[in-house]
Amino acid sequence: MRQEAFTSVLDELNGSSADIEASAVISTDGLMMASLLPVGLDEDRVGAMSAAMLSLGGRIAKELSRGDLEQVLVKGEAGYVLMTSAGQDAVLSVIAKPQARLGLILLDVKRAAEAIKNAL
Amino acid sequence: MDQCKLIFAGPVGVGKTTAVAALCHGRLLTTEEDASDVTRLHKDTTTVAFDYGVIDLDGGDRLHVYGLPGQKRFDFMWEILAKDSLGLILLLDNSRSSPCADLKFYVDAFRGFIEQTGLVVGVTRTDSHPLPVLDTYRASLAALGFKSCPVFEVDPRMRENVVMMVQALLYQLAPELAG
Ligand SMILES: Nc1nc2c(ncn2[C@@H]2O[C@H](COP(=O)(O)OP(=O)(O)O)[C@@H](O)[C@H]2O)c(=O)[nH]1
Ligand SMILES: [Mg+2]
Repeated sequence: MRQEAFTSVLDELNGSSADIEASAVISTDGLMMASLLPVGLDEDRVGAMSAAMLSLGGRIAKELSRGDLEQVLVKGEAGYVLMTSAGQDAVLSVIAKPQARLGLILLDVKRAAEAIKNAL
Repeated sequence: MDQCKLIFAGPVGVGKTTAVAALCHGRLLTTEEDASDVTRLHKDTTTVAFDYGVIDLDGGDRLHVYGLPGQKRFDFMWEILAKDSLGLILLLDNSRSSPCADLKFYVDAFRGFIEQTGLVVGVTRTDSHPLPVLDTYRASLAALGFKSCPVFEVDPRMRENVVMMVQALLYQLAPELAG
């Protein structure tokens, strides 16, 4: 099943680095398809926010001639949110710790996004 | 007032994106994505952040217009976009199962905002669905505490219909501005 395939990709991603705290696969219109999020997070809102950010990110990338959108990165005092396109119809959202080594995480996320795209 | 902003809200498929496009002569920024939820029953794509357009008013002022995403899960965008705007144009779809319940839902969601600003209601798809009549909406609005809110039958594809709602809102806020 597709959801199981997504969940196993997320499992592997979260296991790949202690700095990744949570991850989710979200449809481009903002619905949760699979998630390994901390309890207490409102999945509907996280999904909708990811979709809105990615859509706006895509628009600004086009407006400023940066081509198709690959990623949106948000950095707060307490860590990162990384939203990555996974094919035409899905977004991979990842939450990471503030001291995370971004280069390594980017590689893992890219691999996971590719796996999700192939499972769609 | 030289730069001002207003927002369009209402359920999925009511015609918010259509209204913003008509108002801005099709020159708008949209954030449409393929729909995967029940929205698909109405249409193929849905607004996930906002529609945006800008028009020049007669007095030289610029009006920035935002269409909000319809689904409740995007209510954080409602809050962001309502901030500092002049008022709300609420579109309701006469072909939906209970448009007066939709009216109550959106009025309650935006109550704090519209009490400070202004509200105009436009009812769409009255061509195919003549009921409920506007007086039914007026009665619902009165029950919700907005007795003098203007209510129109509109087709959001017709620019003059959209302009009429904008003028009604501007007039409500400051009669001398509406021209
Ligand atoms: N026949 C008819 N069609 C309408 C009317 N209002 C809206 N529509 C159509 O309904 C669709 C509304 O889509 P859209 O503007 O994307 O809705 P949104 O979800 O509110 O942004 C468009 O295809 C419009 O042409 C109306 O009063 N009559
Ligand atoms: Mg829309």
